[in-house]
Amino acid sequence: MLSIFDLLMDYVQTGRLELDPRLHPETTTFHDSCHYGRKSLQAFGHGYFEEGRWLVRQCCPNYVEMYPNREGNYCCGGGGGLWSVPFHEERVFHGRFKARQIRNCGARRVVTACHNCRDQMEKSLRKEYDLDVEVVYLWELLARSLAAPGRRSSGGSR
Amino acid sequence: MIVVQIGRLAQQLGVHRNTIRNWIRSGKLPARGVPGKRYLISEEDFHKLCHAFGLDPESIAVRRIPMKADQESPPQEPSVPLTQLKPRTNLLRASPQWADVCLTCGSCASACPISAVDGLDPRKVVRMAVLGLENQLLESDWVWKCTLCGKCEEACPMNVEIVSLIRAVRGKQPRDRVPVSLQRGLQTCLETGNNLGIPQEDFVGVCLDLADELVEEGWNGFRVPLDVKGARVLVTVNSKEPFADPDDMKFLWKVLHAAGESWTLTTEHWEGLNWAYFTGDDQTMRALVARLVDQMARLECRTLLLPL
Ligand code: SF4
Ligand code: SF4
Repeated sequence: MLSIFDLLMDYVQTGRLELDPRLHPETTTFHDSCHYGRKSLQAFGHGYFEEGRWLVRQCCPNYVEMYPNREGNYCCGGGGGLWSVPFHEERVFHGRFKARQIRNCGARRVVTACHNCRDQMEKSLRKEYDLDVEVVYLWELLARSLAAPGRRSSGGSR
Repeated sequence: MIVVQIGRLAQQLGVHRNTIRNWIRSGKLPARGVPGKRYLISEEDFHKLCHAFGLDPESIAVRRIPMKADQESPPQEPSVPLTQLKPRTNLLRASPQWADVCLTCGSCASACPISAVDGLDPRKVVRMAVLGLENQLLESDWVWKCTLCGKCEEACPMNVEIVSLIRAVRGKQPRDRVPVSLQRGLQTCLETGNNLGIPQEDFVGVCLDLADELVEEGWNGFRVPLDVKGARVLVTVNSKEPFADPDDMKFLWKVLHAAGESWTLTTEHWEGLNWAYFTGDDQTMRALVARLVDQMARLECRTLLLPL
């Protein structure tokens, strides 16, 4: 089994993906998803905290943190199935901390590695709390940062 | 009669000294004090006590003294049946340590972003489970409003497994209390292979269309790997993408292609979501994971990309 972080780190570190850090100069932050972070740390002894940050920095040199972060990070509010159930008000209420964190860090872009987090922040919190940000998937950021889009890597080994 | 010392008996039964003192004081364990801080117990009461703890009375070393009373008067029935000594069973008490380890400090309640919603918070949930108020928990919607985010656990100084408890409550609620959308999605997934019931030919059609678009966008030679045997990595799909945001599928495909990865999608049971995690239904959760394992075997893939 591989997590998306393991896979992407491997590609970038072995040179199989070439990224251009000039394409995304806007201030960018990384959202720690509860399950890749706290939950994974508890269940598997490793929380994916640093990998996402490292990958984002390869694309976005202008990187800022939200506080608290890593183990102490606030949930987007859409986890646990809440994105898919009709407790709309509670979901948005939970997300007030995340919205405040995003606003306070001043980023224009939030990167996350979870579908749930991305949908909650992009499709709900952005509107409910009037946030001027775009929310993108980690792999989306990489796809949009490729130095030579469309070309297949020849370097690196399996 | 049997001569017992409280400390020794407590050790033999694995209970606290005071527990035995309480039994004696309340009459639950008929015993007569004799000099030397010792007590006399009838043979029969001693047997009952041992049975209540699943112990063989013969295997416990005690001193017996013959007494006239043993033969003369029939042993008295204890006023309270000893079966009450059985450990209490509690549906939601996953760990016997909880009652002792929770400090009732409230750190979890302070950390939880939805504390006070519906008048509940994680500390109350833990206390309710410990105190046997499980019926109230099993009727509460609150456990579905929690996002299983783990902020509470992170704050807990005693490492109480609050998230597991909340998920256990979800799992023990009757299935008609599970939010309909989740339960229906799960049922659809069991029947059709994905949460939204997308037929196989539609899924394949979407994939082929997207691949054509990528070629048009300049990704020369891109082909979507469907059911490629022997690929290194099996990649699952989150059903909301082909259903609502198909273009989003292209991001990951571009990355995999650009990296020269050997990967494949499966056209059967390609769903990456496992909503049984949310509904607390371990059996279904396992069944859905087994499907992915089967797909890996079918396609001879060695690596699974953890569903996104
Ligand atoms: S896991 Fe649930 S109870 Fe714990 S902090 Fe998050 S929302 Fe609150
Ligand atoms: S933080 Fe832990 S110890 Fe404190 S009340 Fe909550 S569960 Fe109990």
